[in-house]
Amino acid sequence: MATLDDSDRTSVEAHTDPSRIQDTGWTMSEVWSRYGPWVVTIVNLTAFFCLWQLFAMSGAINPLFLPSASSMFEALWHGLTTTAPPGAVVSGSIADHLFYSLRNLSIGLAIACVIGIPAGLLMGGNKYVEMILSPYVWALASLPRIALVPLFILFLGFTVKMQITIVVLSAVFPIMINAWAGVKTTEKSLLAAAKVFGASRSDLYTKVVFPYTLPFIISGVQQGIGRGLIGVIIAEIFGGSNGLGYLIRRSADTFNSSLMYAVLLVLVIVSLTLIQFTRWLEAYVAPWRHMDRL
Amino acid sequence: MKVAEAKALSESSPAADGATPVIVSKGLTVGYKLHRERKQLTALRNINLTINRGEFVVLVGPSGCGKTTFINAIAGLVEPWEGTIEVNGRPVTGPGPDRGMVFQDYALMPWRTVESNVRMPFELQNLNLSKEEMNERVRRYIKLVDLSGFEKSYPYELSGGMKQRVGIARALVSEPDILLADEPFAAIDAMTREAMQSELERFVANTGQTVVFITHSIDEAVILGDRVVVISYRPGQIKEVVDVNLPRPRFDYDVKMLPEYGEMRDHIWRLVKDEALQTARGVQ
Repeated sequence: MATLDDSDRTSVEAHTDPSRIQDTGWTMSEVWSRYGPWVVTIVNLTAFFCLWQLFAMSGAINPLFLPSASSMFEALWHGLTTTAPPGAVVSGSIADHLFYSLRNLSIGLAIACVIGIPAGLLMGGNKYVEMILSPYVWALASLPRIALVPLFILFLGFTVKMQITIVVLSAVFPIMINAWAGVKTTEKSLLAAAKVFGASRSDLYTKVVFPYTLPFIISGVQQGIGRGLIGVIIAEIFGGSNGLGYLIRRSADTFNSSLMYAVLLVLVIVSLTLIQFTRWLEAYVAPWRHMDRL
Repeated sequence: MKVAEAKALSESSPAADGATPVIVSKGLTVGYKLHRERKQLTALRNINLTINRGEFVVLVGPSGCGKTTFINAIAGLVEPWEGTIEVNGRPVTGPGPDRGMVFQDYALMPWRTVESNVRMPFELQNLNLSKEEMNERVRRYIKLVDLSGFEKSYPYELSGGMKQRVGIARALVSEPDILLADEPFAAIDAMTREAMQSELERFVANTGQTVVFITHSIDEAVILGDRVVVISYRPGQIKEVVDVNLPRPRFDYDVKMLPEYGEMRDHIWRLVKDEALQTARGVQ
């Protein structure tokens, strides 16, 4: 029986064949390559906040514009650990507003997915749906969404509905366009292979087109989260008396710069967490795509 | 030559009396519509070819000569414009479980493991097999292509040669009468390629399948084929059918050392040369 030469065996076998693996123990360079980035990041950020603190304490810039790092952290701690007493008209607590914004963002994103994913798939799968919808999709996708905020305030007032509508409009197009592109770029040879092995039309969609498109949809959702976060903050800055956007506006109005910087920091953390989550989701759902890119 | 002895090794012989035709192409003309240019292009014209059970037929010809179109017509992916193509006595109306196919770019589903890719034909067509039978076959064919232990690996974790062995296992798992292969080893490095050729010869010797195989390599054609069909440039027509009477298994007999091998190779090269030059010059 013919066997293949050794060069044909790749990484998988190298990892699974015990005779080819030797235990090297931990060397300094391996410890560093694993934990080094964390150490650098922690030192880096600590240095950043220390420099900020020193710079603010030197009094070079009016604390109204640049509060000290310590007073920002104080405002952050206070804002996250307190909630508004029952019956309060407006809250000064970051926790309350963070919850409010995240809730609207999640509802908006959920609606955007429910509309955007099927619409994108349909546009990719049916040329008539594509022909009919594409001019509107491109028009609305290219329009800066902020230009629509006054219109929706006019329609819906300073309400939660208005804010969620803005999130949906911000997030739905990247999701839709990515799903559409995924269907359109499905590899022809995969479709041919499925046909040869007996795929019906619906099999082609469920067993080839959809799995192929899934990572596209996830990167659409990733972009949608970024856009949706912008949408929710803009909608709250424009109107309403709730949410992190409102808190930024209010802290500016009341010259409470420590609170404003604390909210900005919260926004950075929220945004990074959400992006990291979708990256993890992508690596989990479509490891093959991640590996292709490496 | 040890032809008779070698022939006896395989289950059926194309030249033997009472050979049963499996694929019959009569006056087959196929083409494509080029919608943008409002033209239609004839890819193959008037192909008359009968392929018998257990035969290994190799198609060679310049790029764009319609070899792939012919295999697609057998697979049921394209419809004839004129003439007929029959498989097991019935005109081809679409793909079926009696035909399996191996693709040049492997065409494995990247989101499926080796095992799941090999199992895919069972999910797409009902072959009236019990679950145990399916599992057993998936295991058997993964073993046949020497990939036991890689069942849970994803295609991106495998080398080109290993990916194509998954492709071969997937094509064989439904035990089709006919194995179609469209330049299956074109993207595989030379050393692995030679090993894969010898393995393919072994697989089909075991299963007794009819194989229609496309290649650009004359060496590959002569080393694998019982017959080599030389197709001319666009629109593709059969220029000559060359019988390759070399003993099998070809790799065991080291047929490349035989003088007949060189003669056959040279003969096919002469047939293909003019066509290849024409393609290279871009003559329509």
